[in-house]
Formats: sequence, structure tokens, C-alpha cells
Amino acid sequence: MRSLLASIGIVIGVVAISSMGMLGANMQLSVKEQLSSNVNTVMISSDVVRTTNTAGNPVTSQGVTKSQLNDIRNAAGTNVVIPIHRTNTQFTIGSTDGRGSIYGLEPDDIEKFLTLETGEIPRGANDAVVGSNVATNFNLAIGTRIKIGPANTENRPAIRVSGILPARGFASDGINTDNAIIVTDTWYTDHFGNKDVYDQVNVIVKNVDTITDVETAIDEKVNRRSDVIRISDASSRLTSITQTLGTITTFILAIGGISLVVAAVSIFNVMMMSVNERVHEIGILLSIGTEKGEVRRMFLYEAFILGIIGAGVGGICSLVIGYSVVSAMIGNTAYFFMPDSILYVPYGMVIGIVVCVASGLYPAWKASNMDPIDALRSE
Amino acid sequence: MKVTGMDEIPLIRLRDVTKVYHLESGDFTALKNVSLDIMENEFVAIMGPSGSGKSTIMNQLGILDVPTTGELYIDGKNVADMTPLERTHMRRDTIGYVFQRFYLIPLLSAYENVEYPLILRYKHRDTSGKASAVLRSVGFDEQMSAHRPNQLSGGQQQRVAIARALVNDPKIILCDEPSGNLDRKTGLQIMDLLADLHQKGKTVILVTHDPKIAEYAHRTIELDDGRIIAS
Repeated sequence: MRSLLASIGIVIGVVAISSMGMLGANMQLSVKEQLSSNVNTVMISSDVVRTTNTAGNPVTSQGVTKSQLNDIRNAAGTNVVIPIHRTNTQFTIGSTDGRGSIYGLEPDDIEKFLTLETGEIPRGANDAVVGSNVATNFNLAIGTRIKIGPANTENRPAIRVSGILPARGFASDGINTDNAIIVTDTWYTDHFGNKDVYDQVNVIVKNVDTITDVETAIDEKVNRRSDVIRISDASSRLTSITQTLGTITTFILAIGGISLVVAAVSIFNVMMMSVNERVHEIGILLSIGTEKGEVRRMFLYEAFILGIIGAGVGGICSLVIGYSVVSAMIGNTAYFFMPDSILYVPYGMVIGIVVCVASGLYPAWKASNMDPIDALRSE
Repeated sequence: MKVTGMDEIPLIRLRDVTKVYHLESGDFTALKNVSLDIMENEFVAIMGPSGSGKSTIMNQLGILDVPTTGELYIDGKNVADMTPLERTHMRRDTIGYVFQRFYLIPLLSAYENVEYPLILRYKHRDTSGKASAVLRSVGFDEQMSAHRPNQLSGGQQQRVAIARALVNDPKIILCDEPSGNLDRKTGLQIMDLLADLHQKGKTVILVTHDPKIAEYAHRTIELDDGRIIAS
């Protein structure tokens, strides 16, 4: 009965360690997954911070040039390269004036990082996609016409809404679409010029872990002679967030660890009582020729059995409890059975068994080093 | 080392053995310069009043304890020179200990109690039927052997204890008041069993304060105040 209670202590400890570990791992995995779609983009723009390079020559371009774009394409390899034109302008819908960003993108590139809520990507020359704020504020629907340019200008070009984007919020790839109108690159250069100079070039890397390599390659290729472009990304955000989550995971693991310490104390207590209750029996064993090591192993074995039972039940419980906790707190169990998460169960179990056997060490040592005569006398 | 001329080399030899217990109330000398030889296949009774050192000398013979000074040889080996493990093995293989209060392990059946020393020695369960054979020799059939100690009478428990002492075929059987906890008739049956073992070649040493019991022995050693007063 007492051993059973002590085993329950181990069960709780194992459950605490593994389900909390799993919670942390799931949190990390799902946050990382959510974030990495945002941080897998390298943003490249002209180095407009400095207007002269180190040799004293002025930086000629205010954007990324066509030849630089080709260098970037070469350096980026199979990763997706998206050249972007961007400006700010006024526009008019019906009789209402507005102001927002205009992006010029190749129609095929739009789908590479944006998903439409309704409609389709621009097919015709005058088609455009609008951001969610623009669409809501001006009650836009597919087919609505928007006049682009300052309100007092004559003969303003018009575009037709072919698709509407969902809310994107503050995007870490620098493309803030919510207040923007996205037109085809041809339409953009026809009306705003700057045909061979891009305001920004994004490289979407396929594997977020290789982002630094891609950046280095581009840097070496384009900034060979002097720093003409600026390369930046948001992956440091991912790193710092996963680091924070790691710290939180360690912290909750430590809380789980405390329950194992409590369990260790109760196992120790049970083992000591078990030794004290069986002093006489130990005396018999020693007097008929049981080796000290055999007595020691007997008690360690008992602690091990308690540990196995506790860890076994704890392992099963932590699968159940961990799953419920993860689904309740994260709302997503897709990562539950991934190695990073599920491995906490065997970890917890092994730790539970080790704690159990460790708590049995002193009692076992005490039992094996009893004086057989004294032990026999006690009854 | 087994020596052939068993009449010359005693199985057990005590030379000037003194045992001092360090108690809170001061040192207590339980044995004072005891010298004694016991030959193979002797049947010796050790007698004396309480506190005369009977139990102390039994503990020395059973190497549960070592002399403070003096030398103790068992089966030709100086106990003081043996490692704790060697002493444990000698207790297991050379000495069979029968206690006044049987000291069976309550959780094990009679059979398992007898089998236990065999497992200690051979590190696996008894497959030779030796435990059953020894139990039969003390009058236990298979059905009785399945009983736990608390389901057995005192005499039956002592038979199991003797079987346990015998199962590793020891040279020496040490009995500490083997009939002390039994009624007269059962006690005498146990003594018959011990006499029979002596007939079969065992060296039997028993402690008693009952002269009737001591009559079974061929030699009586009387202790008083830690000294041998008659041998």
C-alpha cells in the first residue's frame, strides 16, 4: 500500500516532466512553424543609407538594378526570387478618394507568397489585387474600377479589381498589402517608369535553416566591390522567440522536476521503512550466507520495480494527459507525435526510474551493512 | 585444504579466544581466553547458565562475529585472515545454522525456505530436486512443503529450519537451543533427527541448558562467566 503510494509519486513526477516537456516542445514546434512562413524571406534593397561608397563615388542607383537582380538570381539558386516595384499614390473609387501603396509584381509571383481571399490573380493588363483594408473601406468587389493617381489629374489610368487579399497585418517580408493595391509589373512600369530598377527584391528560401547561407551567397555576389545593396531578414526574430520558448520549457520542466524530487523523498521513505521493517529478515538472510551485494541488489531491485511500475503507468498517463493539455492549451496536436515532443515520454520515464533507484541506494546500502547478530536480535 | 588425518587436525580450533563487547556501561568480556578443539564428526553440547558466553561462542563458530583477540580456525582456515565475502561463503557452504526460534522467512513456503541457500550458492533455482529430498529426510512431503511457516507447528518449522541448514551439505551443524521453543516430545524428536545427522557424518554442535538434551551429545563443554570450566 505504501509502496503503491510512493509509486504514484513517481507516476505524478513522470507525468509532470513528460507532459510539461511535451507542452513546451509542441509550443516551440507550432510557433516555429507559424513563424517560419514569415521569416523565410530575405529582403534586399538598395543601400540608400549611404549615398556615397567608400571610394567617394556616389551610389548611382536608388534601387536594385537589373544586373544586380540577375546576380541575386544566380546566387539564390533554386530559391524563389521576387522583384518588387513600390510607390505611394492617391486613387479614386467611384467618387471617394484614397491613398495607399501600389506594388508592381509579376502576376505569377503573387501566388508565391500571397493567398487570395476571393477572385483571382491579375490576368489582363489592367487587373489588380487589393488588400483587405482597401477592400473593406471602399466596399470593393471583383470588377470594381479604381482610378490611380492624384484626384486632380486628367485621364487617370484605371485598373479593375480581380482579387481581394485577406488581412495580412505587419508582414516581416516588407510587403504590407492591407492598404495596398497590387498591379502587374508591366502596368506599374508603364505608368510609374523605373523599368529596370526595383525598389525591393525578396528571396523566399525553401528551408529556413539555410537563410544565412543564401544571404552570404548574395552578399558575396552583389556586394563584391562595395556595399551596394542591403540584405536583411526577420529570422533573428524566430531565433529569439524559440530561445524564449526554450527557456520557458526548461522552467516548466524544472517545476515538473520538483514533483519528482518529492516522489524521490517518498520512495526513500518507503525504502527506509521497508528496510527497518525487515531488519530481522535481513539478519536471517545474512546469517545463512547471503552476500552483502545480494541483499543490496534485493532492495535496489525493489526500488527498480517501483520505478518501472511508476514510470510505466506514468508514461501511459502522460500520453493521455499530455495530449489533452497540448490540445487544450495550444489547440493543435499536429506536433504531438513528432520526435521532439513524444521523446519527452521516454525521457520522463527514464528519469523516473533513475530517481527511484537512486532513492533506494542508501536504504539498500544500510540493509546490506547490518550486523547479522544485531539484526537477528531485533524483533 | 582438506587434511586426511582427521584425528590430528581439528575441524574447529579456538586458541585463546577473547571477545570483548564495548557497551555504553563499559567493556564487557563475554569470552575469556577460550581454547577448544572440535574434531570432525563430533557431537558436542555447550552448556552453561545465561550470560556464560554460550551465544557468544556460537556466534564465533558461525562466523557471524570475529574474536577480539585469539585465533579461530574453521576447516583449516584462520577466520581473521578471511575477507567478509569469504566468511559469507563459508557460512553458506560449510556451516548450517539452526536457531532456537527457527527464523524462517515468513513470506516463503517451506520448500522455498529450503531452496533459498541453494539459490544463494548456485545462483539459479534448484532443478536437482535436492530441496525436496532434504525436506523428505526431515519428514516433509510435497503438500506440507507448500505451506508457509505460519501454517506450520513449532516442531514442523524447526524441521524446515534443519532442512534449510542441511541443504548445502555443510560439515558443521550449529544449533542454538534447537528444542528451546518446543514441547518436550517434539524437542526430543528434533534431537533424534540431529543424532541421526551425526550418525551420517556431520559435526553437530548444540547449545542448551537442558541436561536431558545434552545427553544426546558425546561431549559436553561447560561454560561459566566466559570460561570453559569442564570439557
